[in-house]
Amino acid sequence: MMAKQQYEQLSPEWFQPAPPNVGEQEKINRPSLTFWQDAWLRLRENKAAIVGLVMIIILTLMAIIAPMASDRTYKDQNLRHAKLPPKIPVLEHIHWLPFDGRDANGVDVYKQRGVKEYYWFGTDDLGRDLWVRTWYGTRISLYIGLLAALIDLLIGIAYGGISGYYGGRVDNVMQRIIEILNGIPYLIMVILFILIFEPGIISITLAMVITGWTTMARIVRGQVLKLKNMEYVLAARTLGAPTSRLIFKHLIPNVIGPIIITTMFTIPSAIFTEAFLSFIGLGIRPPEASLGSLVNDGYKSIQTYPHLMIIPAVVISLLILSFNLVADGIRDALDPKMRK
Amino acid sequence: MVEKILQVNDLHISFDIHAGEVQAVRGVTFDLYKGETLAIVGESGSGKSVTSKALMRLLPTPPSRIKQGEILFEGKDLTKLSEKDMQSIRGAKISMIFQDPMTSLNPTMTIGKQIMEAILKHQKLSKDEARKRAIELLQLVGIKNAELRMKQYPHQFSGGMRQRVVIAIALACNPKILIADEPTTALDVTIQAQILELMKDIQKKLGMSIIFITHDLGVVANMADRVAVMYAGKIVEIGTVDEIFYNPKHPYTWGLLASMPSLDHKDTELYSIPGSPPDLLNPPKGDAFAPRNPYALKIDYELEPPMFQVSDTHYAATWLLHEMAPKVEPPAVVRERMKRFADIVARKGGKPRG
Amino acid sequence: MARYTLQRFVYMIITLFIIATLTFFLMKLLPGSPLQNQEKLTPEQKALILKEYGLDKPVPVQYIQYLGNLLKGDLGVSFQYDNRPVAELISDRIGPSAQLGFQAIVFGTIVGLILGIVAAIRHNHWEDYTATVIAVLGASIPSFVLGGFLQYFIAVKLQWLPVAFWEGFKYTILPTLALSVGVIASIARFMRTEMLEVLSSDYILTARAKGISQAGVIIKHAIRNSLIPVITILGPMTVNLMTGTLVIEKLFAVPGLGEQFVRSIELNDYPVIMGTTLFYSALLILAVFIVDVLYGVVDPRIRLAGGKK
Repeated sequence: MMAKQQYEQLSPEWFQPAPPNVGEQEKINRPSLTFWQDAWLRLRENKAAIVGLVMIIILTLMAIIAPMASDRTYKDQNLRHAKLPPKIPVLEHIHWLPFDGRDANGVDVYKQRGVKEYYWFGTDDLGRDLWVRTWYGTRISLYIGLLAALIDLLIGIAYGGISGYYGGRVDNVMQRIIEILNGIPYLIMVILFILIFEPGIISITLAMVITGWTTMARIVRGQVLKLKNMEYVLAARTLGAPTSRLIFKHLIPNVIGPIIITTMFTIPSAIFTEAFLSFIGLGIRPPEASLGSLVNDGYKSIQTYPHLMIIPAVVISLLILSFNLVADGIRDALDPKMRK
Repeated sequence: MVEKILQVNDLHISFDIHAGEVQAVRGVTFDLYKGETLAIVGESGSGKSVTSKALMRLLPTPPSRIKQGEILFEGKDLTKLSEKDMQSIRGAKISMIFQDPMTSLNPTMTIGKQIMEAILKHQKLSKDEARKRAIELLQLVGIKNAELRMKQYPHQFSGGMRQRVVIAIALACNPKILIADEPTTALDVTIQAQILELMKDIQKKLGMSIIFITHDLGVVANMADRVAVMYAGKIVEIGTVDEIFYNPKHPYTWGLLASMPSLDHKDTELYSIPGSPPDLLNPPKGDAFAPRNPYALKIDYELEPPMFQVSDTHYAATWLLHEMAPKVEPPAVVRERMKRFADIVARKGGKPRG
Repeated sequence: MARYTLQRFVYMIITLFIIATLTFFLMKLLPGSPLQNQEKLTPEQKALILKEYGLDKPVPVQYIQYLGNLLKGDLGVSFQYDNRPVAELISDRIGPSAQLGFQAIVFGTIVGLILGIVAAIRHNHWEDYTATVIAVLGASIPSFVLGGFLQYFIAVKLQWLPVAFWEGFKYTILPTLALSVGVIASIARFMRTEMLEVLSSDYILTARAKGISQAGVIIKHAIRNSLIPVITILGPMTVNLMTGTLVIEKLFAVPGLGEQFVRSIELNDYPVIMGTTLFYSALLILAVFIVDVLYGVVDPRIRLAGGKK
């Protein structure tokens, strides 16, 4: 143990009692952050999520502006301009970029056919402008994503909330229905719906209304069931809080995290489903364009005009990737425990 | 004096986290004698669990690291051993029991396999011999139908039974030291008593030393030979159980004793130590307990107190023991309790241990 | 365990029955019949044909007949392929699809597990980051896009492997690869999360406190326990795989069930669409059932308690 001598020359003055002011040390010296501020701070630190967010903003702006800013529309055909490779001003001079208007054999098709205009992404076999069609297709993808999120929020939350809140027999019946719905493969359901109605955006929308919300309903139900029996909710109930107060002050703030996370993951999977359906010819029909049908069209001439497939394929992949990155980021930010 | 089996000298452990360095253990020194039970008590976050895991080198590195100090066991410094050498000590010479028996057994492996795993790792036995040994161990910890139980999974055992299994695993190789990290905290009170009795029994039979981590002073009084009180990563007082209970010197120990609930104490309100432990990310200057200490001196805010010797076995780190300090009596509640402890011991007819 | 299996089995039968019923009434709603292209027939001839298909009876009778036929494995006949039985069309085409699906799930599971385990063990090291990037990309790039890229760069540009068709193992490599990326991504993700959770659990600490080596702890305790929940995603995985075969077979001209299904959709060949739909549903429900039972077998908590987690 330590030697005593080295402390011998201490001043007696120091041995005056100095009891602490108890109230003082209970002061909280870090600024307190709300749940959302804290989550935003965490999200901001997630570089992948921020990159995803920026990409979504860029893609969305392009989808809104590009078709409006162009004097061509998605369905204008110009057979004299069919199958042109991409050509973009300025970038055309950087020879290793595929935007110089030359085809696979290195022939400058624009010069050969005397085309003065620039088609930034080239044209398809009917001479439609791929630039406009790609961004038009992006609009459809975004619409589908938004729609899926909306359905999740409206039907899924209501269904799950009612099922979980009332419990008992109501819950039992509602859960059996979901179980059966889940037993039927989602895609098969969508295909059946599309067969009855005509392929197109309305059929896809309808199919999603019927089947797209079950995951959300289950998650909301699970959360509500869990929270309903939490001590603090029971406490509020014993204190006579009305149902509306319980729902708005206790249940919703606690369920909102999982809801946002589920919604964020619904969007990319809905975008994927639409692209997939359009790819196998069940979704958007020509002359309208969806990224899935554009990839399918482009695929037919992959050997000679690869840009027809590659450009929409890259855009759809970027779109789904960005949403996945943001969804991952939001999950990590809202639920640090789930972060692994 | 009895043989020292383990010596911990000036142990410092830090965790490197995002915000900086958390100094969880800041210079812990103690010895463990052969066959004794040393209790380490303190609030959550006092560093008692970290210390115990560090003895086994079970802390994940990173983020944790042993910054300084040594852990001497059988002539070796455990802080410097390779992971491989450490593996031959863990489970064989030093064993550990954890807090929650519900989660500390592998749910998909039979009890028998989990015990045999420890035996086969350290002893040159055949599978059959290991099985026999495992059955013996289960019987030793008081599990009936041991042969049948061997084939069962943890979820088929109650909490108390699981903790017995955990103890059996820890005893598999007759360890010299058993570290018990709050082994009864997660159990019902009646089961707690059974487990404590079992541990005392086994210690008598096998003669190992026990380091008992707890925040429950009742358990300490029941189990321990010596007690180390930890606060903010340091031992603030250490002594025999009688010294700590009859003659505590550190104001923090006074606070702990005063906050112990007791049945025959209806008249006074339960005491609680004001405030909360300091942030070990930025430990305060001087005595870490000063901001909560009603007996604080000016010097407490400037200089850390050294360990003052009270008796051969009793040390405390408080400036109140300095000759220039004003003489302070423990608060009335504590004095009364000290007296009552003495009475209890007198009633039991035993002499104070030590 | 027996009760649990029985309960799952009953659910499976109910779901199948509902799907069969749904399919039948959807058929009734759909335009198109065997008489589609035969406008010039006399009413007598039409009646004869309807009688032949059993369409002259009232709908409830047809429904009973349909259910009876289903039990016998009779899925009706195709409108387009010379009135061939749908069941025969399916059994002709199932081979390549099964091979493709099997190869993809085996390859994808092995690679996914390795990635997930390595990522968890090397948490927050470059191996972890690499595995995470692969998983995110794999989950984001649609299989038809990936298939197209593989085809263009590896088969067309580099000419390492055949572009399409189904004439030997070499032909299966690219479609298997395209199909397995989704499997790799979800298994790797799931395994990593599970493994990290298990590694931070108390019983891992107990195992380490016994003196078991790092490798022993990971192999004997961590991997086994993380694998159990991974079994649960094999059910949904089969669904994704099936979705995948639809486009991959179309892309690589594989003469499989998916390719036939897509074509029958293009041709409005309803009996084939319905039959295949039913077949797919049955397959998937069976897969989910097997996964559920398997889960019970592997996890002693369910096996011995007889309940669901």
